[in-house]
Amino acid sequence: MNSDKKMKKIVNKKHKYKLSKGDVTFDILNYVLFAAFTLICAFPFYYLLINTISDNELVRTGQIMWLPKGIHFRNYISLLNVNNLGTSVLVSIVRTVLGTAVMVGATAFIGYLVTKHEMWGRKFIYRFFIITMYFNAGLIPWYLNMSMLGLTNNFWAYIIPGIVSPYNIILVKTYIESIPADLEESASIDGAGYLLRFRHIIWPLSKPILATIAIFGAVGHWNSFTDSMILMSGRPELYTLQYRLYIYMNSTSNLSALMNSGGNLSQSIIDSTLNMRSVKLTVAMVTIIPILLVYPFMQRYFTKGIMMGAVKG
Amino acid sequence: MSKKYLEKTSNWMIALRVAIIALIVSTVVPAFNPARMSGLINKNAAFITMSTSRSAIFKDFTRPLRRGWVDEGTLNLLYYASLLVILCIIAIAIGCCMSLGTKRLQKLGTKIITLSSILALPFLGLLIPAYLGFSGTSNADRVEPMFANGFIVFLGLFITIAILGTINLLKIPKVTSEDKYGMESKYKLFLMILPFVILCFVFSYLPLWGWRYAFFDYQPGIDLSMDKFVGLKWFRYLFQNSATRADMVRVMKNTLAMSALGIGTSFLPMVFAIFLNEIKANKYRKLIQTITTVPNFISWVLVYTFAFALFSSDGFVNAVLIKMGVIDQGANFLMSGDYIWLKMWAWGTWKGLGWSAIIYIAGISGIDQQLYEAATVDGAGRFQRMWHITLPGLLPTFSVLLLLSIASILSNGMDQYFVFKNSANKETIEVLDLYVYTLGLGSGGSGNIPLATVVGMLKSIISVTLLMGANRLSKLVRGESIV
Repeated sequence: MNSDKKMKKIVNKKHKYKLSKGDVTFDILNYVLFAAFTLICAFPFYYLLINTISDNELVRTGQIMWLPKGIHFRNYISLLNVNNLGTSVLVSIVRTVLGTAVMVGATAFIGYLVTKHEMWGRKFIYRFFIITMYFNAGLIPWYLNMSMLGLTNNFWAYIIPGIVSPYNIILVKTYIESIPADLEESASIDGAGYLLRFRHIIWPLSKPILATIAIFGAVGHWNSFTDSMILMSGRPELYTLQYRLYIYMNSTSNLSALMNSGGNLSQSIIDSTLNMRSVKLTVAMVTIIPILLVYPFMQRYFTKGIMMGAVKG
Repeated sequence: MSKKYLEKTSNWMIALRVAIIALIVSTVVPAFNPARMSGLINKNAAFITMSTSRSAIFKDFTRPLRRGWVDEGTLNLLYYASLLVILCIIAIAIGCCMSLGTKRLQKLGTKIITLSSILALPFLGLLIPAYLGFSGTSNADRVEPMFANGFIVFLGLFITIAILGTINLLKIPKVTSEDKYGMESKYKLFLMILPFVILCFVFSYLPLWGWRYAFFDYQPGIDLSMDKFVGLKWFRYLFQNSATRADMVRVMKNTLAMSALGIGTSFLPMVFAIFLNEIKANKYRKLIQTITTVPNFISWVLVYTFAFALFSSDGFVNAVLIKMGVIDQGANFLMSGDYIWLKMWAWGTWKGLGWSAIIYIAGISGIDQQLYEAATVDGAGRFQRMWHITLPGLLPTFSVLLLLSIASILSNGMDQYFVFKNSANKETIEVLDLYVYTLGLGSGGSGNIPLATVVGMLKSIISVTLLMGANRLSKLVRGESIV
């Protein structure tokens, strides 16, 4: 062990001293290229932000490029007056929270159950779940099925179909299999049933993987918009925020049609400075903010999740 | 162990369970709806929906109710009778689950089954006065009173279950005080997972039943009936109708081109990871990784918003170009159909590159460090180590992902292309998934559902075939399956 460390040191030292000209050129190029790509990834976020907080007149005349000018937050305040935006935010939040909670609970339970070899028909049931990952009937039959089930124009269409999620079942099952079996055995000798063991042993121990699937699930719920578009056409009050943003983006109507005329929030200020573009971009910013807020917390779970996904069920 | 399990399930018990399963399945088959006593009741409504949604029943009868052709009482009778019968069926289902347990539990379950099925008979009978109510209408042409075939089916099933239940009750040996309620764990576990199996069936397997629309002349809002059966008409139409054929050729070209661009550059995430690994400044590396992963977590609508902010006529790119004097009038780059395949690829790469690299980054950290040390001692330079150690270490992962991406060559998804689609680029942006949507649902209810189903069906079948082929190839070459 000790000699290993020494060896590493020597290697590292050698490596450091042996930097050739080619190495230096490569390093510089490498650093610069990555810096460039990183900037390209980050710039749209930044550009959107400075566009929404800069003076709208300067934005309109194309003078905001690198730095914000005339900073104000009236765009964000004015969103309170945008028609239907509030309900969409609410739908998106409820859908994300409820949908993720139900999915994580169900996935944890299913993942636990399919590790039990004594289950009647276990192999068949597990495959029954997993096959659905690779095969689907297609969009139209899916839509007709949802409509047959009465899940069109119905909020539950966002929640119920997502309860059984095969990919996440694989992740949880793999994880639970790695938990030492004696922990459960000792509880079973003490007379604890499956539900009790799941609740008091498996659930607390699998929290890392549950956090991972919760994050993926929540991001998926927050970002989805095609299901709104296809299933909720009869009830616009059930549109998610993302679909609402899509509608705004493609709206050619003028600002007054979009805004709630009943609002009295210093109407004259809003009218004089707001334009369609600033409203669109501000709504987009509001849609991004939750992702950026949870992003730092979720980052440490990525690698774990994606690595476990590579281990097939 | 005081719990005593019956050694062998009797044939009578199996027969009873089969009858109960038939009963439960019948509740979701529209053709067996025993409450469809009038032609006005939706032909596609199964018995279970009759009992769950009172408003759905009343909606079908808005006009007859207003005109006084049908009594409100008749509809209420129909609804409550259905509800009571369904409650009996639920009790029977619970009893059926209990029959998997110990002798004592089995006996109780069988009792519940028998009693509920006998109780269901008078409730089912309540549907007859409802039928008479419909028959007594003043406008028989509109109300179309009819005696539901499903009534006979349910009557037969309830009587069968009652008889079988009684036989089983007599057959089950006497329960002594030593017998306890209980169930073998294999059945317990099975019953615990059963609700999720049903859920999975309903949302992932039941849609396959929708494939039948490919063989009918279906118009939305009009029920399917056998006289609308057209066989393979839509399959032939797909290849014989010149407009559709031209569409298919164009769409397939777009689909394959964009998939090919993706597959052709699928080495990029691996290269990204290898080169990122060469950055020795830890904080800088972490920062790069963090920022390049963010785009993966925003929706395509937001990506489109970025594109709008940057490339529309008053966007960033135009502002820069005007300032530099390259152009003097802003142009909307999004409203152009040029190089769409490349543009879509570029957005896809922008969004996904950092994310796709994660699996390779994790792969690199899994490579044995001693290999590098040994190579260094042997005098291998940096590039030699990258080429001879890192790259081969990642190739297995790469080949699996490559095979999977080839298998999903027809599935580009529709989100990205849907949001970027506009009148200028719609010819070259339409991929198969988007085409199916536009064809079937995109035109506000007047879409060609059968044709869209045919296209989706062919796509599903080809995709699965490709996947199985890729899997077999992987087994042959690597000795390991990928799915």
